[in-house]
Amino acid sequence: MKKTQRHTLNCRSVYKHICENLDADIDSAKCRRIRAHIEECENCTAYLDSLKKTVYLYRAYPTPLVSTNAHKELIAKIPFATVSEKKRRSLG
Amino acid sequence: MNPLTTRAHHNKAHPLKNLPDERLIEDARNGNVHAFETLVKRYEQMVYGFSFKMCRNKEKADETLQDTFINVYKNLQQFNGNSKFSTWLYSIVTNNCLMNRRKRKMDQEMVSLDEPPVEEGAHHHGTIPSWEDTPAEKMMNTELRSRLDTSIQKLPQDYRVVFILRDIEGQSIEETAQILKLSIPAVKSRLRRARIFLREQLNDYMVQ
Repeated sequence: MKKTQRHTLNCRSVYKHICENLDADIDSAKCRRIRAHIEECENCTAYLDSLKKTVYLYRAYPTPLVSTNAHKELIAKIPFATVSEKKRRSLG
Repeated sequence: MNPLTTRAHHNKAHPLKNLPDERLIEDARNGNVHAFETLVKRYEQMVYGFSFKMCRNKEKADETLQDTFINVYKNLQQFNGNSKFSTWLYSIVTNNCLMNRRKRKMDQEMVSLDEPPVEEGAHHHGTIPSWEDTPAEKMMNTELRSRLDTSIQKLPQDYRVVFILRDIEGQSIEETAQILKLSIPAVKSRLRRARIFLREQLNDYMVQ
């Protein structure tokens, strides 16, 4: 019998666990059992790997930088005068 | 005495950019424009990047960037220092992203995740194909970017924001819960469903 088949009954709970605790290094009896299961189960190994790659791809997606113009426009829109005047009024 | 003049003199010895957030916030509250500009410079990329990841559109991210720092400036007195300044910023930019989205009424194309998008463990009866090991920079072609964009845009905002905060921005589960005013189990549940959904969306592309 293939190792994958031997662990089939546990895969559902393993999926739930790895989807929720993808990168958590939890040291509990349950986690040790799940890690042991994944080491021997090809399906769960592939599933865990694909979930990690999903996150990896989104992390690797390049983020554009704030342009100089966008920064200038932002600073120009901050209502500095209004608040400064409030502050001055509050100081008497 | 002009507080700005005083600060300018002070800054010769201690450039503002080296001051910790707490000091800059205090100075900005006291009317120091340059202190607030330094905070903007320090955090604008974080706010803009988060906003872009939420809406996948540069113009909308620019708009949210402005709205966020205007709100930050107006509400700076309310920041109580019980959380990190970045955590407080994330909560403001998140609200702005969600509000701007609602204003544009762009939720129609999103799926519902009230029920799991796929039956967890639905692969019991078959073999799960492995995803290729390919460096992301090599894979970041137009087609993959488009797939990543459309997939995350189908994800409802409530789930998307959890995925971005936790998995992309690297906030802890606890910080994500604090930013979104959710319980930790709620954050974990949404994160789980978001990961499953996005994985399923990319699966056929990744096993080709």
